[in-house]
Amino acid sequence: MPTLRVDGVRVTVPAGATVLAAARAAGAEIPTLCHHEGLEPWGGCRLCLVEISKPGWTGEGKIVTSCNYPAEDGLVVRTSGERVVATRRVVVDLLLARCPGTPLVQRLAREHGIEEASYEVNPEPTDCVLCGLCTRACDRMGVSAIASVSRGASRAIAPPFNQPPPDCIGCLACAEVCPTGHIAWSEADGRRTIWGRVFEMQRCEGCGRPHLTAAQAGWARARGAAEQDLRLCDACKREQLARTLRAVSRGETVAAQAAAS
Amino acid sequence: MRIESGGAFEAHRRRVAEARVARRKTVLVCCGTGCLANGSAAVLDAFATRLTARGLNAELGVFVKKTGCHGCCQRGPLVVVEPGGTLYTKVQPRDVAEIVEKSIEHDETVTRLLYTDRKAGACTCQGDVPFYKHQTRIALRNIGRLDPRDIDDAIAHGAYAGLVRAVGHMTPEQVIDEVERSGLRGRGGAGFPTARKWRACRTAPGDRRFVVCNGDEGDPGAFKDRSLMEGDPHAIIEGMTIGAFAVGAHEGFIYVRDEYPLAVSTLTTAIGQARDRGLLGTNILGSGFDFDLRLSRGGGAFVCGESSALMRSIEGKVGEPRAKYVHATTRGLFDCPTVLNNVETWSVVGQIIHRGGEWFARLGTPLSKGTKAFSLVGKVANTGLVEVPMGTSLRTIVEEVGGGVLDGRPLKAVQTGGPSGGCVPESLLDLPVDYERLTEAGSMMGSGGLIVMDDRTCMVEVARYFLRFLTEESCGKCTPCREGLKQLLAIYEGIVAGRGRPGDVERIRTLAEGIRLGSLCELGRSAVNPLLSTLRYFGEEYRAHIERRACPAGTCRELTAYEIVHDGHPGRSAGVNGKRRGARAVQRPCNGCHVCVAACPVGAIAGERKRPHTIDQERCIGCGACYDACRVGAIRFFPKSERVAADADAAC
Amino acid sequence: MAIVLRVVTERCNGCGNCEMACAFVHAQGTRPAQPRIQVLGRHASPGPGTPVLCLQCDEPACLEVCPSQALSRDETTGAIRLNEARCIRCRSCVAACPFGNVAWDAARHVVVKCDLCGGDPQCARFCPTGALLSSRTGILTCP
Ligand SMILES: Cc1cc2nc3c(=O)[nH]c(=O)nc-3n(C[C@H](O)[C@H](O)[C@H](O)COP(=O)(O)O)c2cc1C
Ligand code: SF4
Ligand code: FES
Ligand code: FES
Repeated sequence: MPTLRVDGVRVTVPAGATVLAAARAAGAEIPTLCHHEGLEPWGGCRLCLVEISKPGWTGEGKIVTSCNYPAEDGLVVRTSGERVVATRRVVVDLLLARCPGTPLVQRLAREHGIEEASYEVNPEPTDCVLCGLCTRACDRMGVSAIASVSRGASRAIAPPFNQPPPDCIGCLACAEVCPTGHIAWSEADGRRTIWGRVFEMQRCEGCGRPHLTAAQAGWARARGAAEQDLRLCDACKREQLARTLRAVSRGETVAAQAAAS
Repeated sequence: MRIESGGAFEAHRRRVAEARVARRKTVLVCCGTGCLANGSAAVLDAFATRLTARGLNAELGVFVKKTGCHGCCQRGPLVVVEPGGTLYTKVQPRDVAEIVEKSIEHDETVTRLLYTDRKAGACTCQGDVPFYKHQTRIALRNIGRLDPRDIDDAIAHGAYAGLVRAVGHMTPEQVIDEVERSGLRGRGGAGFPTARKWRACRTAPGDRRFVVCNGDEGDPGAFKDRSLMEGDPHAIIEGMTIGAFAVGAHEGFIYVRDEYPLAVSTLTTAIGQARDRGLLGTNILGSGFDFDLRLSRGGGAFVCGESSALMRSIEGKVGEPRAKYVHATTRGLFDCPTVLNNVETWSVVGQIIHRGGEWFARLGTPLSKGTKAFSLVGKVANTGLVEVPMGTSLRTIVEEVGGGVLDGRPLKAVQTGGPSGGCVPESLLDLPVDYERLTEAGSMMGSGGLIVMDDRTCMVEVARYFLRFLTEESCGKCTPCREGLKQLLAIYEGIVAGRGRPGDVERIRTLAEGIRLGSLCELGRSAVNPLLSTLRYFGEEYRAHIERRACPAGTCRELTAYEIVHDGHPGRSAGVNGKRRGARAVQRPCNGCHVCVAACPVGAIAGERKRPHTIDQERCIGCGACYDACRVGAIRFFPKSERVAADADAAC
Repeated sequence: MAIVLRVVTERCNGCGNCEMACAFVHAQGTRPAQPRIQVLGRHASPGPGTPVLCLQCDEPACLEVCPSQALSRDETTGAIRLNEARCIRCRSCVAACPFGNVAWDAARHVVVKCDLCGGDPQCARFCPTGALLSSRTGILTCP
């Protein structure tokens, strides 16, 4: 259990924790954009920069990303030193030039005292901040239907060959984790569309409501979900449970947990 | 044939070496990439044909060898005749008959093909050529001397002697200690002490370890690693095997670009031959140590040379850098402890073990030991592959080895360290080549690119050029590098096009600092070096571009106008000189020689022969071809802004 | 010591206090949350309502299907708890739960499920009829 000092506050965190977790535990506020507790640390947005030093180090501290720096015993962390703030400000300024119309980025900019971008504003504004959350979520699903393509400033997130992604299961996790709501999808008439691919929805056998893409049902089955559990929507499954409970109670009172087994 | 022990190796070595001493004549034809491009394959064929025609063959003790790069690519195709080391330059197939007759059938020389320069005159022997005389070759010791496709040739030249010593007579710790004594530091960029890296890997917990060779070399203009892979693959294999023995690895990878097919095929052949000889594989030389090597071919993104990206690429993932807060020596390739070293680093290991760390440490400066190979390019008389002791001054490299600046023009700066290195101005040229000193000067050792720049080099444009390269090669994963370099490039493109604005320099500094501190990997962090070093030493040029819309070197087309001087007294003071001869600027009136007319790509120059010519300013695109072609110094350049102002005056 | 939440269906009078309690205790700010408990079949017999809520299964299908280990069993309460920060919102758990007790809150874009209020289920506390009874395992006191 390493103990660190974050902005003068001593904090002890479990082994394997990150500096970000330690800093948050110590009450420090650090902006993040590409960080997600459920996904691989990525270190791409560079907003979570902090300055670290260790006893015995001489000279200036080292600037690192807190979201993937392991919390080490004795580490001294400064979350808002001058260099950190200035660097973070450049990063936010650059993001604002890239995504001038994106509310989340505008808010970040305001928080960093930036009224308008200091640099050439993107002639083709986008909401994508290239945080890589969508692709990592997709990787986490084990699906990897989308990925980043090309490099440098032309980097973008796209399905292979910009075609409807064959591996996509239409679960919408990418769209849900996107911090700016950049990933568009729609649902109508029992069909869900995302990344240019149209998915047939499986309809609930109880109420007829489309509740799950057939592709995601297949994915869930492969991970051990029971076929019959995927046939009904959650509301109908609750109705079914209520009916069972009543039936049972007509005979005797049963502990809820017994019904489960 | 497998060699089963150190003793058997020594017997084999003696046999192959003696067989070579007994040879009457050996013709070494350089088939390095540079010479191949100049047609050395045809020269090689011509030798084969001619020797057969003359009935000369191996039985009569005459051999032809296809070698790697000899270094002096500028003068290629190169041919050396052994014994004696007679060096022939710019050899064409039609010269072959004469060489065979004089140099092989008799002991004469073909004087017209010898290396000549103003200072040294004609040099009969390779060792007398200034280009080679000032070099000390350790990494490059055998390139150009041996046939890279013949392991016995390598063994005869001393390959694997270090390996025999390491696995036969030393413990892994002793090997690391020996490397430590040598003071060897990484030749791939950062100069990290090699022994420290190895020790960290050796002591890291884990059952599986790797050694990896970084052969990604993708800096524009650099070719020393590539030449090593093409010209002396066994030095790399030997170094890696010793390294693996030292850290306890049994698997290794050599990461090479697919764009270097010659390197790929040479290494593949070499690995196969080393396996056949029992120098790779199980129970190497009967020592009980197992190690094998595989090639991993990269797609050729510059960033894949970065260690963490390279390892991801070998793993079959996207070659993108990731945070290195946990060192590769603890968790590298496939999350196992890994040692990654540069091609050149690996290439000297065998020699260090064979000859001892102290021998190596005798060369160099207190903190930078041994020698360093460079790809010497740019405006220098002899471009090519050079290796000098650490501590050699940049001036010695340029003036002595490189033979001075091309066409005797004044030297302006030397750029070292590849695209993210910096420019060292002429005034600091006595700087000894050493990791720390180059860093202090705002540049870096990098992988060993050395670009010589003359007075016709605009330093703002130089910065823009490297910036553009790095902007395109940025992987785009992290915000500061992806967005910041793009913004910097936009500012630079504005400046060189005459759209510089007040405040640009401050904007550059702020952005550069943000990118330097904020980027994920070294590509982004060091990308600002060319900007910062040119700003530091050539700030005046920035001001000229931004404030006066003038390019002092006269190469930014949008800013520069050319005119032909008719009376020898330039009418407008432009602050720029005419054609230089040596260090002296001489401006003479146009004599109507007509050379410029042919040089101009757009036909903007008019004039009768022997009569003064003129440039049609409307058509001129400002390329400067006439200026570079004019032999009398009758063309001068000046800021276009002055012409515009003058035209306005005239109109009033 | 795990918490057991018992449902005595015939005692339910359909008042909905449990839903209210749940909505308030899980509220973020002033807006009540989507309740994790639902009183169904208010007009069916016997009794005026049937409360349904997560059974905290021994082999939870939701936990099994989750790709990002956002669901885990709370050591002290025995509840299957959702770590919202780890959840990537694929909603596979919603599909996989055999009883429909993991739901999607479309307003907040989060998955919701019963967490036994960290050991003191408020639904049981506010149930006026004793249709919901919470107790620690081992000291079941059923009237
Ligand atoms: C963008 C980038 C490109 C690099 N390219 C190379 C390369 O082509 N070859 C190389 O040896 N090292 C390259 N490096 C340095 C490597 O990351 C690494 O430091 C080196 O291979 C370690 O070997 P050494 O200790 O022997 O120098 C590069 C680094 C960066 C940041
Ligand atoms: S610094 Fe550049 S090359 Fe390195 S990770 Fe960031 S974007 Fe990629
Ligand atoms: S949150 Fe750490 S780099 Fe994005
Ligand atoms: S390729 Fe022949 S000298 Fe370099």
